[in-house]
Amino acid sequence: MIDIDERYVEKKSFFNRLLVVYIFFGIAFSFFLHKTYSLQISEYTNYESASIKNKTKEVLVQPVRGVIYDRNGNIIVKNVPTYDLILKPSKVISIENFLNNISEIIDFNESEFDYIKENFAAKASLNRELVIKKDLSMEEIAKFEVRSFRFPSAFIDVRYSRINNYPHLFSHAVGYVSGVNNEEIEEILRNQDLAQIETIFKYSNGFQMGKTGLENTYDDSLRGKFGKKVYQVDARGRLLKEEEYIKPINGEDLFTSLDIGAQKIAYNQMNNRRGAVVAIEIDTGAIVSYVSTPSFSTNAISNGISSKEFNSLIKDINKPFFDRASQGRYSPASTIKPAIGLFGIEKNIIDWNFSMKDPGFFVLPEDQRVYRGWREGGHGNVNLNKAIIVSSNTFFFSLAYKSDINELINHLSNFGFGKNVCIDCFNPDNGLLPTPEWKMNNLNFGWFKGDTVNLGVGQGYLSATPLQLAYYSMILANYGISQNLSFVHENKEKKKHKINIENINDQDWNKLHASMIGVIDSPIGTAKRLQKLKKFKVAAKSGTVELVSTDTKEDYKIIRENEGNRDHAIIIAFGPMPNPKYAVSVVIENGESGGSVAGPVAIAVLNDLLEK
Amino acid sequence: MKKKLEFKNFSIYFDQYLFISIALLSVLGLFFLYSASQGDSNTVIKQSIFVGFGLLLMFILSQPDPDFYKIFSSLFLFIAIVLMFATMIFGREINGAKRWLDFGFFTLQTSEIIKIALPIFLASYLYNKPLPISLKHTFITLTLICFIFYLVYSQPDLGTGLVVFMAGVYILFLAGLSWKFIFTSFGLIILSMPFLWSNFLEPFQRQRILTFINPSNDPYGSSWNITQSKIAIGSGGMNGKGYLDGSQANLNFLPEAETDFIFAVIAEEFGFIGICILLSFFFFILLRCIYLAFNARDRFCRLTIGGLSLVFASTLFINIGMVVGIMPVVGMPMPFISKGGSSLLSFYMAFGIIISMATHKKLMQK
Repeated sequence: MIDIDERYVEKKSFFNRLLVVYIFFGIAFSFFLHKTYSLQISEYTNYESASIKNKTKEVLVQPVRGVIYDRNGNIIVKNVPTYDLILKPSKVISIENFLNNISEIIDFNESEFDYIKENFAAKASLNRELVIKKDLSMEEIAKFEVRSFRFPSAFIDVRYSRINNYPHLFSHAVGYVSGVNNEEIEEILRNQDLAQIETIFKYSNGFQMGKTGLENTYDDSLRGKFGKKVYQVDARGRLLKEEEYIKPINGEDLFTSLDIGAQKIAYNQMNNRRGAVVAIEIDTGAIVSYVSTPSFSTNAISNGISSKEFNSLIKDINKPFFDRASQGRYSPASTIKPAIGLFGIEKNIIDWNFSMKDPGFFVLPEDQRVYRGWREGGHGNVNLNKAIIVSSNTFFFSLAYKSDINELINHLSNFGFGKNVCIDCFNPDNGLLPTPEWKMNNLNFGWFKGDTVNLGVGQGYLSATPLQLAYYSMILANYGISQNLSFVHENKEKKKHKINIENINDQDWNKLHASMIGVIDSPIGTAKRLQKLKKFKVAAKSGTVELVSTDTKEDYKIIRENEGNRDHAIIIAFGPMPNPKYAVSVVIENGESGGSVAGPVAIAVLNDLLEK
Repeated sequence: MKKKLEFKNFSIYFDQYLFISIALLSVLGLFFLYSASQGDSNTVIKQSIFVGFGLLLMFILSQPDPDFYKIFSSLFLFIAIVLMFATMIFGREINGAKRWLDFGFFTLQTSEIIKIALPIFLASYLYNKPLPISLKHTFITLTLICFIFYLVYSQPDLGTGLVVFMAGVYILFLAGLSWKFIFTSFGLIILSMPFLWSNFLEPFQRQRILTFINPSNDPYGSSWNITQSKIAIGSGGMNGKGYLDGSQANLNFLPEAETDFIFAVIAEEFGFIGICILLSFFFFILLRCIYLAFNARDRFCRLTIGGLSLVFASTLFINIGMVVGIMPVVGMPMPFISKGGSSLLSFYMAFGIIISMATHKKLMQK
């Protein structure tokens, strides 16, 4: 036992030590309280927003794309709702097992299987949904719904498909939509001030954007604006309840100037030959018909296609994806002659009375090189009128020979050669209007006089797209008044202007029109076979694009054994005369004769347009 | 004041300050638990049975004379150690830890018992040793403390192990451990830190400490808990989001909301004001314990009251420090609030014993 003194010392020591520990805890708890204070009061706003961010999740709601109409209010492209079987790939453990099980109740064909297998992994990694069967029948829906407990990763919902009512007719004009890559979707969302990628889809194919044609050039307005659903979520990311819904703004409908009737005629007339048809309403510069053949189905591309089918399209030697109307480069050949004739009149090199003898060839004085016409023996005495009607090469060789190349280039540029003539065409090619500088820079040769002579008959380096030829045709028809082309009637970028040629009056234009009418109506016209086809008075100029240079008809017979060596057939036309309303250009690759092969297509389209 | 109510032939020992504040705190705890468990009334009913039983246990344990505890303290410790070994053999394994003995109706976390038994035993061992405590007794005491710490630690349960260790050391310190020894061993501990780091800590514990030191270096995501806890506390603001309206807890962002992180739930729903009110209960209890310790009848009672109250304070200290992000996550319930029967009962037992120590007076004091 300890005594009283010791007991007192012990008690004092105990008190001191307990106080030390309590003071330590006192300081610690004050510190904790201070920490709590700084979390709750000083940094409150940060943590409050962190808490809101934690518990809310924004999901985008896809807008429905605008409908595309023709000029008569007929639907070209629409959105068709179907009941689709949709898979959440990220929830599927084995796609093989899943397909085995699901195919017991719903039939899949080979290409559908291929499509699913090809797209499964990518969709799973992005946590997006994959539509595995579209447009289920009532029976299929019923079969699936009663067994849906076996397929927790799949569900049936309404999804739209982008359907073109005329999938082959408008494949290049209207184009197609298809899925987007990550950069594209980021840009689309950034433009709408959105960051979130998770989306409630309205379309079977998920995100989509216009890839070609009008679907591309009017993508912004057709697409619409994404809506947003704000959900409350728990820590596992489960959506608990909807807190806010901003409806998507659906895309604006597009009312085009295209005419389904004329488009059908043009497409059927082309009959899968390689080539293009462009028809323009002269008063407005609106494109009413725009066909490139052979074609492909935009519906297949827009709504999912297996890579096998896609590859067979890509490998097709006739290049169905190639838009010949605005990307195909062809020499204008003889169709350039009206513009060259106008140049001669404008620069006073010739007048309407000037005539010369056409022996069937032209000899370049500098090097004695011979430039042949299409007809052996020539056309006798020719003036400008006859030269256009019979398409005398000699006359235009000689006229070009007397021209200043720079002035001539400037003149042709007025007619749209070498530049973009369309406001809303998809990726149009500018063709080529050759200049001495261009030749020096690209071919390392100086400009020969012979090059100018070739330019006079639209051969040589000069090339243009069918779209540019239609534009050119429109300016010829409209007394030199030009305006950019477009697929819609109203476009603020459109402006009419008189092209920059002086010294040409209405009489000159009328005379030129008379010559071009003669191309069909005259018994010696190069397109006289069209007389019985046409229902209206039509002005035209045919052309035959020489791909291989031959001196005699016998030589040509040899080279035409290979179809790819045959001449291209080309024509520009407008009517009805004397007050033309529509201008047309037609190119048929390896069609050989502008007048008799390309001509009937142009006449059929004009007939259809004018009969309305 | 300590009360000795005369009741015909027998006396009732009762401290209304402690009893009422603990009872109030327990009821508040049920109220908070209802929200933390997202309105799970089963959890709350189960917990309220523990609370009711615990309060009764506290009352019963305050009746025996301190000499009873003094005499039987070694038996208590022995039983606690046996339970620890039983846990090692028969214990139920949850998430790789064997801490629980399943009695069918109740799963006992045995380390919670030893947390109480050790300080009482040490108090009974040291109360009659002369000052300062000799090196021999110090050594014996520390060996026992380390042995028991190791038993708990190896379950593994670092958090409770630390509390047990601290509980032992408090008694030793309060009993008059020599200052010379304290300073020498502090020096040695600091020197041996690297050794302890690489040999005694599990990789996940090391990771937690590293994450705590440098939160941006967190490859295993162990700071998720702390981040969510801070968001819960911080977003509570001054007044809180309102009862049952804490999104962090209700939407499961806050992990272990019913147990370790219930403080964050309270902070989120009741704000800084709520936290201040809650903490004032704890401070009142602790201050009451100091008062009782100072007025205890003898050295054994003083040491026991001081030691047990410090076990209580340390548990609270580790819990709050962890939840507000000042200390590493070790897994520690909030006394009287968190879900969990063992922890709850151990503190009712501790306070029952404290009241017994404080209310029994020797009739003849020297």
